[in-house]
Amino acid sequence: MFAVRQYSLPLMLAVLLHVAAGWALSSGWNPQREVSNFIKPKAVLATLIVLEAKAKPAVKPPPVQKAAPPQKLQEKPQAKPREKPKVDVDIALKEKQRQEREAAERERQEQARQRQERLNALAQSSLDRAIEEESDSLQAGSEDQVAQSYRLGMYELVRQNWSRPPSARNGMSAKLQVELIPTGEVAAVNIVESSGNAAFDRSAEQAVRKARRFEVPQENAIFERYFRSFYFLFQPEDLLR
Amino acid sequence: MSEQISIYELMSNASLLVQIVMGLLMIASVVSWVMIFQRWFYLRNAVSEIDTFEEHFWSGIDLRKFFGELEGEENLTGIESVFVAGFREFTRLSEQSGADAEAVMQGVQRTMRVAVTREETRLETHLPFLATVGSTSPYVGLFGTVWGIMNSFRSLANMTQATLASVAPGISEALVATAMGLFAAIPAVIGYNRFSARVEVLMKRYEAFSDELTTILHRAAHSKSPEV
Repeated sequence: MFAVRQYSLPLMLAVLLHVAAGWALSSGWNPQREVSNFIKPKAVLATLIVLEAKAKPAVKPPPVQKAAPPQKLQEKPQAKPREKPKVDVDIALKEKQRQEREAAERERQEQARQRQERLNALAQSSLDRAIEEESDSLQAGSEDQVAQSYRLGMYELVRQNWSRPPSARNGMSAKLQVELIPTGEVAAVNIVESSGNAAFDRSAEQAVRKARRFEVPQENAIFERYFRSFYFLFQPEDLLR
Repeated sequence: MSEQISIYELMSNASLLVQIVMGLLMIASVVSWVMIFQRWFYLRNAVSEIDTFEEHFWSGIDLRKFFGELEGEENLTGIESVFVAGFREFTRLSEQSGADAEAVMQGVQRTMRVAVTREETRLETHLPFLATVGSTSPYVGLFGTVWGIMNSFRSLANMTQATLASVAPGISEALVATAMGLFAAIPAVIGYNRFSARVEVLMKRYEAFSDELTTILHRAAHSKSPEV
């Protein structure tokens, strides 16, 4: 009994301390947790969409609308001071003039509206066309991107496999034509432009042959377009495609 | 590995041996903290006890009356038990007819020495455990770490491409073991040093008191009168 009383408080305190320590550890473990969800784009794609037709309706409407207010302003000072003292004949005349003016005004507004509609239709169709073209170019762009990512993989692989000969010098460059079969295996390697140094050319060729098999895209279209046959440019300061 | 790994994930992914090591260290840490708190309360209590006792003792109170008060109590601890043991021996021996004063004093000294030693053991309970945790748990943690790193390097041998990402989690989880070892060891070492120093101070005070009591009883034994 004595022992229980003696140890219960210390036990409680010790457990509490460890729970607190565990909690502190789990809550303060990741200091930069807020930033971690940010996904960096691999490449930023920016294309200019030109909308020529849209510029016209944007500029045109204001004159039409602006034309109306001055008339209203003219109308008001005329109507207010005169209507009170003048007799009925004058009022009738005024009424007629006003009706005429209003009719003309309405006609003008109607014309403006039709014109606006036509312009809108025109703008819409050209916008559609622009979007269509844009998505077409996007399609091509994504293919290009896919090819680019595979290209980077090949580049890395070849770079790892390339052991430069001691005679390699800055400024040397050898261009190799590489042919692949759809599984990614190397079918042929030809030296298109020699560096002038046989050892260097051989090392470049060896680098490609040692890789044996490259990762290539599954889509046949992309493969045929980019990887059936392509060039590697070897330069000692860095390996460039 | 863009996601951050939580420490609990690390612990649950570790190999069995590393997990056992971590568990042991966790238990060691909890137990040593229990002992630290228990010792802390106990020693604080003992210090305040000796303070009030000495104040009472030197206040000029009649020692027989004081002894009578204390004798009735159960569970005497600390300085009180030293006093009661010494004084009881003194009264018992001096009541015996024909007791030599020197023999009485020898008996009293022996009893008090025993009482002080018993108090010392009581004060020092758990301190060896703290010392053990403090000195071994870093090694235990290190053992877990070495084992974990060994395994993560061994798995690296099977890979064609060695990347940092394939070893880093293993090393990280192995290092948790060392961290836990240190987490257990540091408070234990600090506690051990602090408490053993405090026990030493208390022991000095007990010994000083028993010497003082011996002097008083010595004077009483040699004055031929049993009155103190």
